[in-house]
Amino acid sequence: MIDPALLVAVPLAGSALPAVASRLRPRTGWPLALGVLLVQSVLAVWVAAAALAGDPVRTQVAGIPAPFGIGLLVDALSAPFVVLIALAALAVLAYTRRGGPRSGAFYSLYLLLIGGLTGVCVTTDVFNLYVFLEISGLASYGMVAQADRGAAALAALKYLLVGTVGASLYLFGVGYAYVATGTLDMAALRAALPAASDPLALAALGLMVLGLSVKVALFPLHTWKPDAYEAAPPGVAALLAALASTVAAYALGRLLLAVFPGVAEAVVDAALLGLAAASIVAGSLLAYRSESVARLLAYSSLAQFGIVVVGFVVATPTAIAGSVVHLIGHAVMKAGSFLVVGLLARTHDVRTVAEYAGLARRSPYVSAGFAVLALGLIGIPPTVGFAGKFYIALGAIEAGSWTAAALVLASTLFGLVYLGRVLERMYVGEGDTHAGPTGAASPGMYAAVAVAVLATLALGGVGPLVEGWLAPVLDGLDAGLAMGVVP
Amino acid sequence: MSLLPVAVVVAPAAAVLAILYFRDRPNVREAWTFAAALATLGATGWLARVVLAGARPEAVAGTYVADVELSLRADPMGAMFALLAATLWLVTSVYSVGYMRGHDEVSQGRYFAAFAASIAATMGVALAANLLTLFVCYELLTVATYPLVVHSESDEARAAGRTYLLYTLGGGVALLAGLSLVYVAAGTLSFVPGGVGGLAADPLLARAAFGLLVAGFGVKTALVPLHTWLPAAMVAPTPVSGLLHAVAVVKSGAFGLGRVVTHVYGPETVADLGLSLPLSTLAAVTMLYAGVVALRQTRIKRALAYSTVSQLAYIALGFGLAERTAVFGALLHVPAHAFMKISLFFVAGLLYVESGVTDVDDMDGLGRRHPVAMAAFAVTAAGLAGFPLVAGFVSKWYLLVGSLRADAIGFAAALLAAGVLKLLLFWPMIRAAFFRGDPLASGPARDEAGRTAADGGAPDGESSASTAGSSLSDRAGARAWEAPSRVWRESAPALLVPVVAVALGAIVLGLVPDRLPLFDLATEAVAEVFG
Repeated sequence: MIDPALLVAVPLAGSALPAVASRLRPRTGWPLALGVLLVQSVLAVWVAAAALAGDPVRTQVAGIPAPFGIGLLVDALSAPFVVLIALAALAVLAYTRRGGPRSGAFYSLYLLLIGGLTGVCVTTDVFNLYVFLEISGLASYGMVAQADRGAAALAALKYLLVGTVGASLYLFGVGYAYVATGTLDMAALRAALPAASDPLALAALGLMVLGLSVKVALFPLHTWKPDAYEAAPPGVAALLAALASTVAAYALGRLLLAVFPGVAEAVVDAALLGLAAASIVAGSLLAYRSESVARLLAYSSLAQFGIVVVGFVVATPTAIAGSVVHLIGHAVMKAGSFLVVGLLARTHDVRTVAEYAGLARRSPYVSAGFAVLALGLIGIPPTVGFAGKFYIALGAIEAGSWTAAALVLASTLFGLVYLGRVLERMYVGEGDTHAGPTGAASPGMYAAVAVAVLATLALGGVGPLVEGWLAPVLDGLDAGLAMGVVP
Repeated sequence: MSLLPVAVVVAPAAAVLAILYFRDRPNVREAWTFAAALATLGATGWLARVVLAGARPEAVAGTYVADVELSLRADPMGAMFALLAATLWLVTSVYSVGYMRGHDEVSQGRYFAAFAASIAATMGVALAANLLTLFVCYELLTVATYPLVVHSESDEARAAGRTYLLYTLGGGVALLAGLSLVYVAAGTLSFVPGGVGGLAADPLLARAAFGLLVAGFGVKTALVPLHTWLPAAMVAPTPVSGLLHAVAVVKSGAFGLGRVVTHVYGPETVADLGLSLPLSTLAAVTMLYAGVVALRQTRIKRALAYSTVSQLAYIALGFGLAERTAVFGALLHVPAHAFMKISLFFVAGLLYVESGVTDVDDMDGLGRRHPVAMAAFAVTAAGLAGFPLVAGFVSKWYLLVGSLRADAIGFAAALLAAGVLKLLLFWPMIRAAFFRGDPLASGPARDEAGRTAADGGAPDGESSASTAGSSLSDRAGARAWEAPSRVWRESAPALLVPVVAVALGAIVLGLVPDRLPLFDLATEAVAEVFG
């Protein structure tokens, strides 16, 4: 059995290599990052397979037991994300070889980000979660700033400021939780958190949820996102779109399910549902009004994460499975879309919706790939985008949350309106259909897009599998057991 | 596990890739279309035989979402729809080639690929074993038909495409909501002849779900007020209007409605929950409203589109009554209307390609220029109005008897009134084509006088002669029926042969309906549902 600590240790330790090595020999950053990520992927798949096949994989760092030591855990809820992080990082790495930034420092940040995100997924300690959140946050601020444009520096600064405020709010919440219970371990917190109306518990919950909502970028806490995704190098935008908010949403779900059930549920559920609804509606509207395709996709994320949060709020097993499926699916589809945006900007020098007119004739295969990804984001079966939404809607109906169900179902039409606009331009818009390519793309770039497109289709039927994996974990949580204990 | 239903879906789907690959080599590309159409028809015919022999071939692709499987199962109702679509796809392919080449359309590769994809999705709708599989194919049908609607890439086409997607995907959302409710209420989405049972336990939920399902399928069935996308979608090339907007797309909606009534809720539950009357009323209102609106259309295709809206409501009415004979009539009306309406659309397209006619007003004297095509038009139009010996009569007879058996005299009257409206719609067209214009002026360079006199303007001969020269030149495109100098002067064979074929089909359906497998399959389907 592998120690899950390796999942965090390998990329964190490996992150020193590219920066140092590229000083000694230029252009060694990429191969080193590739090596580290290959090891990481093997480890992730191995641990996840073990966790899904049998009992959850857990460890105490340095052997100090909870509630004092830090526990790491890979269970059915976190395993899919651990694998997603490793594989998405690999796929995007194939893109950045040519598309890049190529400096050694960039690949150090890249690995740091992966280590931080994996840490958020496996930790069972709320303060440790903050540390990993900050590691990944700092790495991503740096990565956004790698694009050599003034706008990127500004966007990175904005991202830094807003992201730090979010992380700080979360940290305040951790402080309140510690004052209330004297522990930071999730399982111990759950047992120790007093009755629902306790002000300390309520403050802890409120601040932690708020802080993570900033990281997830729910409306109106989203302002860092469009700027950062638009200004960042395409590979970075794709990686962040795949992982940053996804992992934050995972953390939010984990806290809601495993730490805070029973604490002021009605109030928090109503507030979160309101945030989610605002995200779905406002995100779609903002996306509809965007001229830049990258911004449109960033705003679309607001709406998509709104849907995910609905699933965690409804919190029936079906809805939770839906949220997990949608998080994974959205990561794949959105990352693929950003890769296409980067690819097209490179090969045809197009960035806005208007400039996309007639692209299907000039670049039929990439356009077809984008069409599949967009249809997935809209939620057309049999893509993974449909599966996630359907599970969440089904869960909401089971729970009798009609508003939630209506929101999720209606989001399909919103998606049609803002993404249909792009597709229509691409396929039947009157554009310059004869202009030649303005730049070349590497096979790695095409391969990364192809992987995303195929995954969008192939993951369409993954729902029952996820449902089956999650069932024992959720049963355990329902029974009030600590995470990772199978009843 | 049987591969036969899979073959029916995969044959057209596989053609999509081949057509796209050979998109720049028209003859190879069309060869693929025909190969796939023949293969699909062969597989479907075999499937119909097997089903009539009592087997129910089934193919399961595995659990898809929740506990629902993605699976195909051929039963009489589905086999009937599949057989119909396969037959008409072959005929339409011939016609499409004639139309697209005769008219030098752009993007023909995309056109034929999207056509094949639409047929694959329609086959999926026909053979789906549960509501979720049907939904998946129904949505894919929307996506696959979109390129056909916006084919011309004009502003009008794009606007129509937007309307089309909003309506149909909006309907998809309603459908998804409805099927989720059914799943939560009944715990299953499988199609069971006579209904799944257990739905009546929570009447409110069941009614809400039924409403959503009817709204979802009602969009493609073009029930008023969800019908406006259909006339707008007539900007598509005529073969598309013919096969898809008179047969595959709208019939998928009607078929889905039938599935909901007969295989999800079951006729008894529909009656018990009091759902029969609202659905039937909606259908009757649609039937009459669209019948009246059709009279005001000036474009032939738009008039046909409203006639389609009206005819589909016959089918919806039959299912809505949830009575044995009425349901049988509704099932029979699916192929009957398909054959008749596709004939009319084919003739409309033929007139456009050969003579440039798109408006009802320009049909004067066309009977002499295109005697065979207009004869086919007249016969099938009579069938739509309900004349005996053509397909429409048989199905409407059963619908009428069914509504009387259901003690719904009002609906019987509505059926008859709608028939009269059809007569009012088509008679002026037929009269213009055959009985207007100067009988002596045939062939090239018809004179202006015949037209003027027929319009009742009654100018004297001199003024008519003096204006003739000038007005002839600017109306030449629309009025002077110049027959091309080729051996077959009536119209291009690729256009005329399909017209004659489908018109003959409509007549055969009217003369000896009980000799055809479609009739047997409908009989079987009703027997299965009503025991």
